[in-house]
Amino acid sequence: MNVLSIRNVTKTFGDFAAVDNMNLSVREGEIFGFLGANGAGKSTTIHMVSSLLKATRGDIEVLGKNIAKHPKFAKSNIGIVPQDIAIYEQLTAYENVEFFAGLYGLRGSRLKERTEEALEFVGLGDKAKSLPKSFSGGMKRRLNIACAIAHRPKLIIMDEPTVGIDPHSRNYILQSVLKLNQMGCTIIYTSHYMEEVEEICTRIAIVDHGKVIAEGTKEQLKSIVTDTKEIWIGVRSERNIDVELLQKVPGVISARIEEGLIKLQSKAEVTNLNEIIQLLIQANADIRSVEEQAPNLESVFLTLTGRNLRD
Amino acid sequence: MNILRIARKEIIQSLRETRTFIFMLAFPIVLMLILGTALSNTFTTSLVFEDLKLAYKIENADAPVSGYWTEFARSLEQNGVALSLLSANEDGKEKVKDGEYAAYAEIKPDGVEFFGSTKQTVESDILQGLVASFANRYSLAAAASRTEPESLAPLLAKAGSGDYVNETSLQADRAPGSMDYYAMAMSTMIAFYACMSASMLIRGERLRNTALRLSAAPISKGELFAGKVVGSTVVNFIFVVAVVAFSKWVFGADWGDHYGAILIVLFTEVLLAVSVGIGASYLFKGEGASAAVMTFTQIASFVGGAYFPIGDIKGAIGALANLSPLRWANEALTKIIYSNDVQALWPAVLLNVLFAIVFLTLSILFMRRKEAL
Repeated sequence: MNVLSIRNVTKTFGDFAAVDNMNLSVREGEIFGFLGANGAGKSTTIHMVSSLLKATRGDIEVLGKNIAKHPKFAKSNIGIVPQDIAIYEQLTAYENVEFFAGLYGLRGSRLKERTEEALEFVGLGDKAKSLPKSFSGGMKRRLNIACAIAHRPKLIIMDEPTVGIDPHSRNYILQSVLKLNQMGCTIIYTSHYMEEVEEICTRIAIVDHGKVIAEGTKEQLKSIVTDTKEIWIGVRSERNIDVELLQKVPGVISARIEEGLIKLQSKAEVTNLNEIIQLLIQANADIRSVEEQAPNLESVFLTLTGRNLRD
Repeated sequence: MNILRIARKEIIQSLRETRTFIFMLAFPIVLMLILGTALSNTFTTSLVFEDLKLAYKIENADAPVSGYWTEFARSLEQNGVALSLLSANEDGKEKVKDGEYAAYAEIKPDGVEFFGSTKQTVESDILQGLVASFANRYSLAAAASRTEPESLAPLLAKAGSGDYVNETSLQADRAPGSMDYYAMAMSTMIAFYACMSASMLIRGERLRNTALRLSAAPISKGELFAGKVVGSTVVNFIFVVAVVAFSKWVFGADWGDHYGAILIVLFTEVLLAVSVGIGASYLFKGEGASAAVMTFTQIASFVGGAYFPIGDIKGAIGALANLSPLRWANEALTKIIYSNDVQALWPAVLLNVLFAIVFLTLSILFMRRKEAL
């Protein structure tokens, strides 16, 4: 059963189509990765699903019901974890969760129980009476999640839930996502961190220019890029390396430098490693390692969109 | 239920906001104290003198006028004027010049000569009035004695009665002192300041990103709007009541006897302010709303009498003053407190409610047209 169906949806702002005839389905029990660079149409889609924006054309269904015709039903079954932390600094952690859960119709002892449960779930049970201003970034992110899950939604939309937090909190959140999924929640997960998406998502859609350009499991997506290879060359000095020169080497699709690592994407059938190494030697790069990487989501994204996810 | 939940959230949020406390409580109280103390003389209608000193000389003690003067002098002394009879070798004018006396009078058989001090003008003027009154009465008596001697007795019998001046006040029985005035003016001003926080009611949700959560929740825009208006009105009214209570019990400000009427005027003023604030947040984009509200509030406060009493002003400023909600409220409160005119609440209440309805309706129309919150 589809928890979310997006059919031929378009959203325009003036002449600009932020979402252009998009089609997408999210099945029950999935952790669905939703990838796209900035401006690809990801946030607009999320805003339409969460009823912040109305689609210019097309239909969006949540649990089989059209959200335009049954907005309350759709909203009651969705929990949203916004990219930017959306909590009230003057309310305690408990009051924040209780307030938002209350808007979903929870009352009395049930409201209290669910509020406590949500705070326990994100590890903030002992901070229930504290104001968020005393929280670390990671704790605020966890409270952000608690506010979205207390009403036990069937579909949770998580928009970059791990941005700007420490590895411990990130790991906690990723484990929470898996746990929520085991508890029966369907999750739409967007992130700039490919490794996170690879780790937890069961199916992934890549969005570009307002359209879904690829959709499938990790393996299915990686199979798209069998005609390319990823070469990582570790160097001690990157000062004299000319990236543009590397990109001109026959077969090289893209080249970039990240913290002492030259990441090259190249056509699989072209033998060009010798030429690349020659250029690096001339640039006194002091090579320390050369590795050919198995295809990953990053290379898939790069192949399909021609740019990095973080661009 | 959702309306109450949102209203409750607004109230808790505001009560825990330190800046709101400073702005809505400390600011009016401090201003009340400063203006009420610094401008206290502006509101006083009486002057207090330690002594009214009058020196005099009698040229001929046997003349009829000297007898009347003695009667008159006794009456003056009973009313707090210190009289000194100078000896022949003392120079009364010099003593006035030196500031020893406020005035000097020479009682001569043909009349009274009066010399007033230019240093103690108010005291001198008062003494001059008293002495002139005596001289007129003596002249009248002298004239009567010449033409109709029998009428002299009742006139002279009044010579020492002291009722030389009959005072009739044209003012009401009660008038506000400086602290009374500024207690009222600061309360109406702070009631209208509610429009500043109200201009951030919806925009604040956008800025702290909670607008997305609220839009995603199964509540209508109407519930959200109503909850915010109710919450903001209630919490700002709490602040106004606190200012009123503080001014009454700490500064001893006079709020009269009709607290119900006073609170109704202030409550509707807060409602109007909240409506204006929300309306401005839809009429002006971004920071423009806060700037517009701040400008309007300052002008309305100034012409509405928040910083000093405003009388009847003519021309453009007068027209502007009449548009200030603070002026409506201050006029109504003045009549309620000092003239016991409870009915005076109605013009202010009706204007407040009418304009509140206009601004709330405009806000609802704009909100409906807007796709997001």
